[in-house]
Amino acid sequence: MTPVTSLDDARELLREFPVVDGHNDLPYALRKQVRYDLDALDLAAHQSASLHTDLPRLREGGVGAQYWSVYVPSDLPDAVPATLEQIDGVRQMLARYPAQLAPALTAADMEAARADGRIASLMGAEGGHSIGNSLGTLRGLYALGVRYLTLTHNDNVAWADSATDEPGVGGLSAFGREVVREMNRLGMLVDLSHVAATTMRDALDASSAPVIFSHSSARAVCDHPRNIPDDVLERLPGNGGMAMVTFVPKFVLQAAVDWTLAADENMRANGFHHLDTTPEAMKIHRAFEERNPRPVATVSTVADHLDHMREVAGIDHLGIGGDYDGTAFTPDGLNDVSGYPNLIAELLDRGWSRTDLAKLTWQNAVRVLGAAEDVAGGLQATRGPSNATIESLDG
Amino acid sequence: MADLQDDTPTTTEVGGDYGLPDDPFPDEPYGPADETLRRAHSLLAGHPVADGYSGLPWALRHLPWYDLELGEMSVDTDVPRLREGHVGALFWSLHLPEGLAGDRAVGATLEQLDLVHSVTDSHPEGLRLVRTAGQIIDARNCGRVAVVLGPAGAPALDDSLGILRVLHALGLRLLTLAGTAWASEAGLTRFGEEVIREMNRLGVLADLSGASEATVSRAAALSKTPVLCTRSAARALRPHPANLPDDLLAELGAAGGLCMVPLTAEQTGPTVRDVADHLDHVRAVAGPECVGLSGTYDSGAAHPRDLADASRYPHLIAELLRRGWSESELSLLTWGNVQRVLRSADFTARAAQHRREPSNARIAELDG
Repeated sequence: MTPVTSLDDARELLREFPVVDGHNDLPYALRKQVRYDLDALDLAAHQSASLHTDLPRLREGGVGAQYWSVYVPSDLPDAVPATLEQIDGVRQMLARYPAQLAPALTAADMEAARADGRIASLMGAEGGHSIGNSLGTLRGLYALGVRYLTLTHNDNVAWADSATDEPGVGGLSAFGREVVREMNRLGMLVDLSHVAATTMRDALDASSAPVIFSHSSARAVCDHPRNIPDDVLERLPGNGGMAMVTFVPKFVLQAAVDWTLAADENMRANGFHHLDTTPEAMKIHRAFEERNPRPVATVSTVADHLDHMREVAGIDHLGIGGDYDGTAFTPDGLNDVSGYPNLIAELLDRGWSRTDLAKLTWQNAVRVLGAAEDVAGGLQATRGPSNATIESLDG
Repeated sequence: MADLQDDTPTTTEVGGDYGLPDDPFPDEPYGPADETLRRAHSLLAGHPVADGYSGLPWALRHLPWYDLELGEMSVDTDVPRLREGHVGALFWSLHLPEGLAGDRAVGATLEQLDLVHSVTDSHPEGLRLVRTAGQIIDARNCGRVAVVLGPAGAPALDDSLGILRVLHALGLRLLTLAGTAWASEAGLTRFGEEVIREMNRLGVLADLSGASEATVSRAAALSKTPVLCTRSAARALRPHPANLPDDLLAELGAAGGLCMVPLTAEQTGPTVRDVADHLDHVRAVAGPECVGLSGTYDSGAAHPRDLADASRYPHLIAELLRRGWSESELSLLTWGNVQRVLRSADFTARAAQHRREPSNARIAELDG
């Protein structure tokens, strides 16, 4: 058990250097649960029965900036309209809680929000499907405030391979590299969570700006394709980007990885898709869980990842991306967005310095966005918008 | 400072004694017979044209290279000709070709918006993208042609008020209410009415050219701010489906709306006089406060003789002067009416935003 004094120290540190979280799926939860009706689900009140995230718990957790994910599923016939609705949902949320949430588009906006005690609110799109193979649409998302694009979600897109799909183009295609170049020109961060290791390496080669992993942990600590291999972590200092550690138990705890594989296998053996959540499917799932208790990750599991990532990538290239409201289970002690102080306390106990922790929680993420802006400023002086099409580049 | 000024060589006399053999700016561009044309130019200098429809975005989409600043002969519209025609503002259509329906329309509309932003960004001396009536005046005071975004087609919303809000955030000011389940031949559904209420709240104008008669009537009655038709002439003179019958023209006039007459051979006729006939008719039926101009250039339509491109407006105004249109009527026709309608939409939106929250109504809930 963490001594109380460390927790007090953690809270004190977070008051000065609050958490920038790389990925939160609250918008999708609002879309699914209440269709963005914030009268029906008021975020100013505690909503722990239905959400990991609400304003009181963000405050309690010491969150100072949040990339709200405007995720939509990749199996829609066209993801662009739904992505725009997600962006509108975030805009409605920001308009409704102006005293708590500050719309932010730049590193300077993040600092301004911290200075007046509001939570800087940025947007990230999760998956290349959200741009419909179009650089014009990519620029539209940027104009609407989206500041990172995860190149894929769980499925490949035509121009980039996902970590959780069969190899397709073998990393990034020519159009995929053009997407990265155009993101660099705009100042939109290239997010490499969810992508295949081949895509990570191609994107690091193609990008002239720092990249991020909005919610990924270390593959050397827990062997899951969603995590980052060491050779990629080693390239972050050269690139200037950052890896934001995620908490999702089935990615960070080996026993949970194995348990999930077995549970998925059990679902398929019973004739269901492994992600099926219909009542019949859930019944099968619960029966499995009764026979095989679900392994539980803890704060310490996540801290193990951070220790390793600090070793390999260095303290200047780490951050936090909880994936709250984007995952069913969370580690003990990091149950919802109020839990970040527990992680900071654990790291204090492990001997992390205040300087290191300030970089982890706040400074690295602000630096990275600012650096992407600087790169964009330079590129815009020499290069106009790209009108390349996937047909012209990938044939 | 006086010293500096004394040192400045004066160039005004260079060549002064010789004149230029091919003086590009002759003092007398028009002979005495063109006195009316001269009056048209001087009138337009004070009250330029706010043009209700330009198809330029789609026309540029497939040009590999263009420069509107220097002049671009592969299209009907460029900065020199806009200046020659005294165009002070124009609506840039985001309409998509037939067949780009459903969810594909959303992405294609985003691409069109992106193209418009990049075109206006790359022609900062000539064009300025604006959102409000006040910004049109600012652009004019800075000598820029104001570009207003729209109309977009209703299919661009993919039946979603959230997408309407996002398109408005990107600058959209006009939406054509046709071609969807909620604004069809049968008129507006309940969701269609909710779309109009949300448009009023945002300040997006309803364009009813090409809408069914039922939609025109209902929208004109329901909207809290005047509606307009970006491309409609008088059906009494020419039976084109997008032209308005007299009863609808009168209804539109009574509601303070605006009928913008297109300069196309198909809808108005092959000569300047045909266009003037339509303008006379709309003025008579709807009123001088309810008539406007719509070049409809670069939309693929054929234009009347003598009105081939955006530089030709003075010829049309000269014809109207000959027909006895007063200067105040002409100033409303070219500029004033559009200003009134846009300004009203801005005011209505500001008032509505105090009263209404963004609507999250869905078509499935309202139309079942």
